[in-house]
Amino acid sequence: MLVLRRKIGEVIQINDNIRIIIQDVQNEHIVRIGIEAPPEIPVHRMEIYNLIQQENKAAAGANALQWLKGVTHERSSSDKDAGDE
Amino acid sequence: MSAVAVTRMPEMSDTLPNTKEAFYFPQGMVGFGDAHEFGLIYEGVGNIACLQSIDQPEAAFLLTPWNQSRLGAQPKLNREQAQCIEVQDEQDVMWLIVLNPFADKKWVTANLKAPIAINTEKRIGLQCIRPEPELELRFQWMAQPGS
Repeated sequence: MLVLRRKIGEVIQINDNIRIIIQDVQNEHIVRIGIEAPPEIPVHRMEIYNLIQQENKAAAGANALQWLKGVTHERSSSDKDAGDE
Repeated sequence: MSAVAVTRMPEMSDTLPNTKEAFYFPQGMVGFGDAHEFGLIYEGVGNIACLQSIDQPEAAFLLTPWNQSRLGAQPKLNREQAQCIEVQDEQDVMWLIVLNPFADKKWVTANLKAPIAINTEKRIGLQCIRPEPELELRFQWMAQPGS
């Protein structure tokens, strides 16, 4: 990990297209940071990003489409049974 | 973009955008950053479609349109999100929520913390993480089928 010291107003440049700007320090524990990045680069607080990532992985997968197909089949069968009555 | 064939049902026709062509997600989906092109597959099950990655088969998500009567007003894009999906007019945005049928035995749950915004004109999508702490990650959306 690269560790840098920056003062308020100073900038960290990442690659050609990402800038991190130290906006201000609000107290001993909170630093306001401005981030400039192209639209295709997601920028998020880590704790919420990890939460969403976990949930996406739980919800995703080949099982998702199979579940949908299974529900379709179940619905078609019950519709057919209802039609036969 | 690849063409994706889809079957549509009347109950979805007013809500889903044209699903014959793929959608582009510049940021992928959270946790699936390399999955950029997606097809939208509708199998005729109520208001649920499957967002299937063309790049990564394992990145497949069940989606349903944002329901204002149940959830209140649709989310709003911030400036960066609007820029990402090249939206000029919020009217061009369709909001969808990701469903999870695997987390709970009794309920299919909905992720209200990270809905998906789609620019229906340009076919660009983005999963938008919302910071409000009160939003539920697993909102009880519907009973599991057959339960």
